Amino acid sequence: MPARAARAPLQLFVVQPYLELHTGPGRGYPVTQVVGRGESLDVLYRRTDWFKVRTEHGIEGWASVRDLAQTVLADGGPFAVDMGNLAGFRSHRWEAGAFAGAYAGATLVSAYGALSLTDNLKVEADLSQFLGNVSNGYLADIGLAHVFVPEWRISPFVTMGTGITRVQPKATYAQAIDHDDQLAYAGAGLRIYLTRRFFIRGEYRSDVVFTRTNNNEVNPEWRVGFAFFF
Amino acid sequence: MESRIRLLLLSACAVLACAGCAGHRARQARKAGRVPATVTAPQPGSDEDASADNTPPPVVVQPQVQRRTVTVPHIGARNVELGAYYGILSIENFGAQPVQGVKLDYHVTEDFFFQGAYGQARAGETSYELLSGGIQLLSSAERRFTYYDLSLGYNLLPGEIFIGHRVAMTSALYMLGGIGSVDFAGDQNFAVNFGAGFRVLPVDWLAFHVDMQDIVFRTNIFSVYKLTNNLQATVGLSVFF
Repeated sequence: MPARAARAPLQLFVVQPYLELHTGPGRGYPVTQVVGRGESLDVLYRRTDWFKVRTEHGIEGWASVRDLAQTVLADGGPFAVDMGNLAGFRSHRWEAGAFAGAYAGATLVSAYGALSLTDNLKVEADLSQFLGNVSNGYLADIGLAHVFVPEWRISPFVTMGTGITRVQPKATYAQAIDHDDQLAYAGAGLRIYLTRRFFIRGEYRSDVVFTRTNNNEVNPEWRVGFAFFF
Repeated sequence: MESRIRLLLLSACAVLACAGCAGHRARQARKAGRVPATVTAPQPGSDEDASADNTPPPVVVQPQVQRRTVTVPHIGARNVELGAYYGILSIENFGAQPVQGVKLDYHVTEDFFFQGAYGQARAGETSYELLSGGIQLLSSAERRFTYYDLSLGYNLLPGEIFIGHRVAMTSALYMLGGIGSVDFAGDQNFAVNFGAGFRVLPVDWLAFHVDMQDIVFRTNIFSVYKLTNNLQATVGLSVFF
């Protein structure tokens, strides 16, 4: 007796004349099976925009998301599925990306992830490293971003948040002592939809570092890179 | 007598005519789907004349069929690939040394994927150190070579590999390039990486990799800034989840 009952896979019914099954999760893989109208198939799992399915006869293959979007559920209702298109760019749950840029004259390498609270409002977390001639260091921050018109292909946004920075002066310079400081930032940028799940994101920020001296530092930061949503 | 018989026959015709009209209307309603074929029988002992005038219309039997509601279960996505690799890294001026690392891929579409990798090696000695008889340019800690990169990959040539008559494995030749950082000789430097690799999947959740990559960064180890090329050849194993 199994300790836990297996979860039943989603069953879909083909209503188009036929549905093609490929040998791999890509458009170039050959079609070796078709599922006829009225037959059912079980959806096992997904990889990118392809679904591993099993037919009534036990044959497994890969079906594209575009083909599966035309099938129906057992109650006759449509199979609603995330297609990864411009509608997804407007409304999605998660996004992530990588950037190159500059921070106070140093080269910046950065990665970020964001959770959408609404189509307009996102919580973002960034981890960056800056590599300069005088010092290296890290930035870790969290903040909010507001996208003004998320349905636009070129969509402006503003962002603000807080974080910490660790500065590591190079050993060849005096006062080579690592130090951590808190920072706050505000900025603005553009999100430009490319295709499928990709978009370009570019932004400028003004970082205020709360140093232990009497004067705070204001460091410009700009970055541009590729991002995707899912 | 004759008039009574005539009256009786006329009454019988009238009753039959009414019954025929009612049956015709019922058939028409049934065809239109408004009234089911099965209706309840009249109550025992009821008067036909009274039922025609006062009783409510016949009660329709309600079908005892509940419409099936489908709850769409969560479809698991296997777009993440976690793996480890091992191979040779040729550190410019410091010889070829073993390298090992881990990498995390996210497959966004069938064509593109993002990759983050972290690797480490230990640099050997330069020709000058070997020939000078004991002079060391770097300390032991400074010979530690670590790097990370964030890359975008493109599956250039997806395909299949066939072994015998029955085994077919999906594969892809891919290219990737990205940016990152190298920590070597007591300094951290911005680095650019680019290369190509080959991925074979014996099963849907497991992949073997062969990768070639060049890690390029600018350094001043010898007191002069210089662009260095550090070629890496690795084999790896990864799982999809």
